[in-house]
Amino acid sequence: MSTITDYPTAQGEDVFSFWPRHNAAIQRRLESKHAWLEERHHAAEMRDRAEDALEHEMTLNIGPQHPATHGVLRCVVKLDGELIEKCVIDVGYLHRGIEKLAESKTYQEFMPYTDRMDYLAPYANNVAWCLAVEKLAGIEVPERAQWIRMMMSELARISSHMLWLGVGLMDAGAVSVFLWAFQGREDLYNIFDEVAGARFTVSHARIGGLATDLTPRAFELIHDFVDRYPDIIQGWRTLLNRNRIWVGRNEGVGVVSAEEAIALGLTGPNLRGSGIPYDIRRFEPYLKYDEVDFIIPLRTEGDCLARYHIRMEEMLESIRIIKQCLDRLPDGPIRADDAKHAYPSKDAVYYSMEGLIHDFMYTDTGVTPPKGATAYHAIESPKGELGYYLESDGTGNPWRVRINAPSFTNLQGLEHMMEGHPVADIVVLIGSIDPVMGEADK
Amino acid sequence: MDLKEGYLTTTVDAVVNWARSNSLMPMPMGLACCAIEMMAFAGPKYDVARFGSEAMRFSPRQADLMIVAGWCSYKMAHAIRRVWDQMADPKWCIAMGACASTGGMHRCYGVVQGIDNFLPVDVYISGCPPRPEAVIHALMDIQEKIRNDYSIVQDYERGEVRGPVAPAAPEVLTADGGKLISPDVLYHQNDA
Amino acid sequence: MRDDAKNTETKTSEHRSHETLKFFFTPVEPPKPDQENPHAKATTRVPEVVAALREAFGKAILEQVVYAGEHLVYVEKERIVDVCRFLKEEQGFTYLVDLGGVDRFTEEDRFEVFYNLVNIDDRKRLRVKVRVDEADLHVPSVTGLYRAANWNERECYDMLGLIFDGHPDLRRMYMPEDFQYFPQRKEFPLLGIPGSLPLPPQTPEGGLTLDPFAAAHGSKPVKSYEEPDSDVEEAF
Repeated sequence: MSTITDYPTAQGEDVFSFWPRHNAAIQRRLESKHAWLEERHHAAEMRDRAEDALEHEMTLNIGPQHPATHGVLRCVVKLDGELIEKCVIDVGYLHRGIEKLAESKTYQEFMPYTDRMDYLAPYANNVAWCLAVEKLAGIEVPERAQWIRMMMSELARISSHMLWLGVGLMDAGAVSVFLWAFQGREDLYNIFDEVAGARFTVSHARIGGLATDLTPRAFELIHDFVDRYPDIIQGWRTLLNRNRIWVGRNEGVGVVSAEEAIALGLTGPNLRGSGIPYDIRRFEPYLKYDEVDFIIPLRTEGDCLARYHIRMEEMLESIRIIKQCLDRLPDGPIRADDAKHAYPSKDAVYYSMEGLIHDFMYTDTGVTPPKGATAYHAIESPKGELGYYLESDGTGNPWRVRINAPSFTNLQGLEHMMEGHPVADIVVLIGSIDPVMGEADK
Repeated sequence: MDLKEGYLTTTVDAVVNWARSNSLMPMPMGLACCAIEMMAFAGPKYDVARFGSEAMRFSPRQADLMIVAGWCSYKMAHAIRRVWDQMADPKWCIAMGACASTGGMHRCYGVVQGIDNFLPVDVYISGCPPRPEAVIHALMDIQEKIRNDYSIVQDYERGEVRGPVAPAAPEVLTADGGKLISPDVLYHQNDA
Repeated sequence: MRDDAKNTETKTSEHRSHETLKFFFTPVEPPKPDQENPHAKATTRVPEVVAALREAFGKAILEQVVYAGEHLVYVEKERIVDVCRFLKEEQGFTYLVDLGGVDRFTEEDRFEVFYNLVNIDDRKRLRVKVRVDEADLHVPSVTGLYRAANWNERECYDMLGLIFDGHPDLRRMYMPEDFQYFPQRKEFPLLGIPGSLPLPPQTPEGGLTLDPFAAAHGSKPVKSYEEPDSDVEEAF
């Protein structure tokens, strides 16, 4: 058993107290941030000669293990009574180093890691990765695969928003919505299960297309979903839109103006809640988004209620997109036909020699984009702009994978947003920003 | 007074263990994707409330089962250990998913390669993420373990070196009825 | 017939014949001309912005690369803040999407920092890159212009060790401050360095576990009722 007690500590103590240098750095940052606040207090104290007998000022640590922080997020806040004067957000409790891991995997092998990043909408991450690699290597994807990918991405968007709704409301106190939202997610899980074999961390998209085609049963399930759910979602909206408690908790909380939103780099519904019409599906259409009809919900208030409305409307728009996909789905192959770009079909692998060799080579080496190629491709994931910046060195493993995770940039904005709000609003704010820590921490 | 296992203590044991196993209060240490499956396991379809685990308590003082769901980073490990230490006896731990059990697909510098490096795990669940049925199975395993494991004699003599009770496993003998089956026996069963 | 049978075709045509297949150990693809990349988007085609940059900064713009329809501009490290200010104020690239570092693992100019900028109103995207040598890891920070760069630059520092001058709060992003290495550098091993990140103690009052594979080497922690008695006296 190898245990050592003399790990270097900041205070020179013998007992390691939970990353001392790290906590000291956070404390230093907290103290030095907005130092003018302390000066103002000091000036007020000198004037009033009143001591802070009740200790209204305190430093509170929220997380990393906390029921309402959407994963492992740590907020160190300096409070004045109930009001947050300044806060420091500490992420990294879920850091894996997948950018470094990616450098030792082939492009196709990295697919399951993308699932586990934004684990509320894994299909969207898969599609984002495939698109980025296909852009890097110049691979063309057949039409049917693009339509199916679009449809499944929109189902993933609905799934993610359902979880956002359920967990956001559960954190605010309304537990029934959690159960309804999870029943909705179970119906979606049935669809993903039928399509891809796994409930939610599917790795169904392949570079160059999809793994397998949709079965008739999958189409039945999707039809059933889009027939039933608009009314159900509308029912939730009817319950919540004019619910005094919900509106009261969300209205005016976390207001972000349009300029601030751009300056802070917020993405997704957070940006659209402040009035900026930036949606990658319209900005830089990928897959077949320029051929389907849908609106981008936009609000200008910039508070949590606006973001709530946008996400609810996005769910209904996604159902609209799925219906159009179902109507317009063309027949055709579901994967590119080039052996250096995509897997051969299973029949070719089993019944032909070239198929077997291609399958082996594709698994072993995989796609090899040109040396020195760089590409960035972004999609509109439910959280915002999810982009992959890829650099290739000519081999089958990427040289550098940089994941532009929307939750990471949104959390930056959260640090700014939380200041000036009472502690009770933290829950609502985190819920409305909708971070996924697996993505923010990579 | 020297408590020994007798009719009275074993009956009390049975009652206490029955109560403990049917009212497990999980503390969901939900870290990552497995946390979503754990939420589904608490959701309407794979209801865990029917097993008595309705109250998912996030406070370690009020819980007795910690379900670590998701990969544990080195930074987070200390927080988890501290939460574990704050839980009162008796407590059990489930390592849910491949990442909590062994580090899973994340064989890299940031992920602890299995929480059993710093936590005493009772049940491991494999899967990435495990289906809620698998988590229910693990919960039932813990219930089985509780029913067979604890005794008030053990509680009474806390601190004394008592080894853990072996699980109720059948004794499988070799074909000639002589020795218990084990790898040693199997490898050498055809020796002279 | 399986569902993806639509993807098979008879492999009798000449160019699919197995005699003409060549497999290299690392098959190297030649770059495709840009017009053929099916994923190239109109938003990344910004030659006019690059021309404006060259006009305004002349020699500070080192190189320009176009691949997959994307324009990538290499800029001198010292002028990056001026370039970004020009792009933000005069060209309208007000939105910083991403900022990151790359370890090229070459002798000269080992690191690079890239900036992905977006002009929302005119629908344009541009990538700017800066080369950083290992001898001088200081890079001017753009947090004064783009507040969104704050955490990204911290992550770059954490992962690669690049120091951003003028950053208000340059701490580590993901790894704890007690960690002393830069993980994304190519020489850092993937599994980490044993002892660099200690695990919690095996008992509440023990010492840290420095062996990341403690369980595999036989020291699994025991249940709390089997832990050794504490030396600390109960403060009742």
